Amino acid sequence: MLLNNRVTRAPSSFIQRNQQEPALSGNGEKMAVIVDLFGRSTVQLKDLRSGNNLPLKHLARNQPHSSPSLSWNGRYLAVIIQKGNKRLVIIEDRISGRMHPISISGDRDPIRLSLSPDASQIAVQVAYKGKWRVELFDLRRLIELDQPPGPVRNSNNLLDVN
Amino acid sequence: MINFSKKSLLSGVLILFFPIGLASCSLGMIRPANELNVLLKDSARSHREPSFGMRWLVTLANHKGRDRVELIDLRSRRSIPTPGLNRPNAQPISVSISANGERIALVSQLSGQTELFLYRRNVGVLQRLEIIPKGVPGKVSLDGFGKLLAVQVSRDGRWEIDLIRP
Repeated sequence: MLLNNRVTRAPSSFIQRNQQEPALSGNGEKMAVIVDLFGRSTVQLKDLRSGNNLPLKHLARNQPHSSPSLSWNGRYLAVIIQKGNKRLVIIEDRISGRMHPISISGDRDPIRLSLSPDASQIAVQVAYKGKWRVELFDLRRLIELDQPPGPVRNSNNLLDVN
Repeated sequence: MINFSKKSLLSGVLILFFPIGLASCSLGMIRPANELNVLLKDSARSHREPSFGMRWLVTLANHKGRDRVELIDLRSRRSIPTPGLNRPNAQPISVSISANGERIALVSQLSGQTELFLYRRNVGVLQRLEIIPKGVPGKVSLDGFGKLLAVQVSRDGRWEIDLIRP
């Protein structure tokens, strides 16, 4: 069944032009975007309530950045960076200030990624032998979880958690 | 006969095993989800554009040369039917899922028209979301509740981000 509907645009007075690849945090309070800063694609993190940019400790270099992804509260920002001729996945922990490089073995380049809402896993789209492939990695031994405050419920009001 | 003091023996053991310990620690920190990765590898010719819910993964999967949105329940490790989500002959471009897996935002192209949709899985309804002012949607992101949507929109040759409450 296909419905056609008009929708309400959220207030967006702080939204700038020339932004790409939006990624909302699970709680909908933060958004990461890729902006063109002096010709370099750079990730920025915005607080949607205030419209302010939030500081990122490790992401002023190693452009171009691409495919940002946020955990539930926006504690973790995962993004693809470029170091030399190598594309790498990193996760910045905004609370501890630490940066976690994610090593993908073999001759596979990361293309897109998605962090699970609680940051327990990451899905990475890689290019391998001319094909797209999605690979999942368990992060629970690397970083603390960033869980929703309560259980996420499905349409039947049943708990829906890992 | 060679005599080892306890201290030198301990130092030797540490020197010998410390690098091994470090290596195994770093290798153990990020573990590939092998079983799921094999499932993904075998279930379609290719997968792209992953989006995570709490126990859900949605991707654009290529079957026999055609892309379609595929929803996987990570707990049961099964592909879940999504009736009405994949329109015949439409080319999906970007997809994003809510945390509980009930809502899926989708940008897809059909007959030269690129449009934004929201799929409600509990009722099997695909809702077209009108973009105002008009523009061409690209990458899409849904928040965990499925109540706020951010979409990259091309207008007048520039990319903007629209925030939409469907």
